[in-house]
Amino acid sequence: MHSRQMLKVVAAIFAAFAVGLVFYFIFSAAFGDGLEKTMENAGVEEQEPVYKAPLSYGDNYLIALVMGILGFAAVLGCAFLFGKLLVKKSP
Amino acid sequence: MHIPDGLMDPLVAAAGWILALVVLVIATRLLNRRVEERHIPLMALLAAGIFVAQMLNFPIGGGTTGHLVGAALAAILLGPYAGAMVMMVILVIQCLLFGDGGVTALGLNFLNMGFIGCFTGYYVHRAFPEKYRKAGIFAAAWLAVFLGSLACAIELAASNMMSGGAFGIAAPVAIPAMTIYHAVIGVGEGIVTTGILVFLSQVSPEMLKMPKITAGKASGPEKEVAADA
Repeated sequence: MHSRQMLKVVAAIFAAFAVGLVFYFIFSAAFGDGLEKTMENAGVEEQEPVYKAPLSYGDNYLIALVMGILGFAAVLGCAFLFGKLLVKKSP
Repeated sequence: MHIPDGLMDPLVAAAGWILALVVLVIATRLLNRRVEERHIPLMALLAAGIFVAQMLNFPIGGGTTGHLVGAALAAILLGPYAGAMVMMVILVIQCLLFGDGGVTALGLNFLNMGFIGCFTGYYVHRAFPEKYRKAGIFAAAWLAVFLGSLACAIELAASNMMSGGAFGIAAPVAIPAMTIYHAVIGVGEGIVTTGILVFLSQVSPEMLKMPKITAGKASGPEKEVAADA
């Protein structure tokens, strides 16, 4: 995949994410997912985490957008470096 | 479906970590021998794309939402081992940077969404003949989510039984609730996964023809890279 093609894909993902986030905040942000709903049905409350993460996804559009881009970059970088390590180790 | 800290019995969580580490060691050894330079941009972009897609929950009715897991998508494009590694990178960043899923439950989250999702997704998709490829992708994505949720429900029930009710959720509540919600969420997963792969087959067919890393002998139209060859 060429770098120009990669940039196009990244731009397309960001555009889709920016639009998708609008629908997320309109329709979904107030509700839990399947596991959270199952916990709610069973009367189980979420406990304090063992490890406190430095960031959260945010509870408004702008913060969620920034966090999404930050997470995208972190995952992209880590997966890329991990892949490079695996290739270098190949005989 | 990200399990938080404190929900599972510590023994179940520890078993999850051990099993996940075994899977990761095997996958890393196989990838060390087989991964190619051209896989890396796709692995990285897929991982990052699935990360943002997982932030976008969609409503499924009854005040419940679901999100794309993406394991079947990653496994169909890269093979089950590389797909599982992609899911592992996503889950680690979600956990350590954003607190999505507990550290103690990271092993179980990887088994449910990464390992089960990728291997189910890949092999179910491969079991369908070429002319039913779209149906195969949909079935693979749906089953990947459904079986992952069933595994999570069993872990909840085992935690509840082993701890005498202190952890987890009793089987009569956990199994029907988790599987019913995720049977519906899986439909969304199936539609999105099929849509993405059909789109890619039109705009970038070479991406779908890239060699996959599997445990069997090289076979099929995609000329897979056999991990044990």
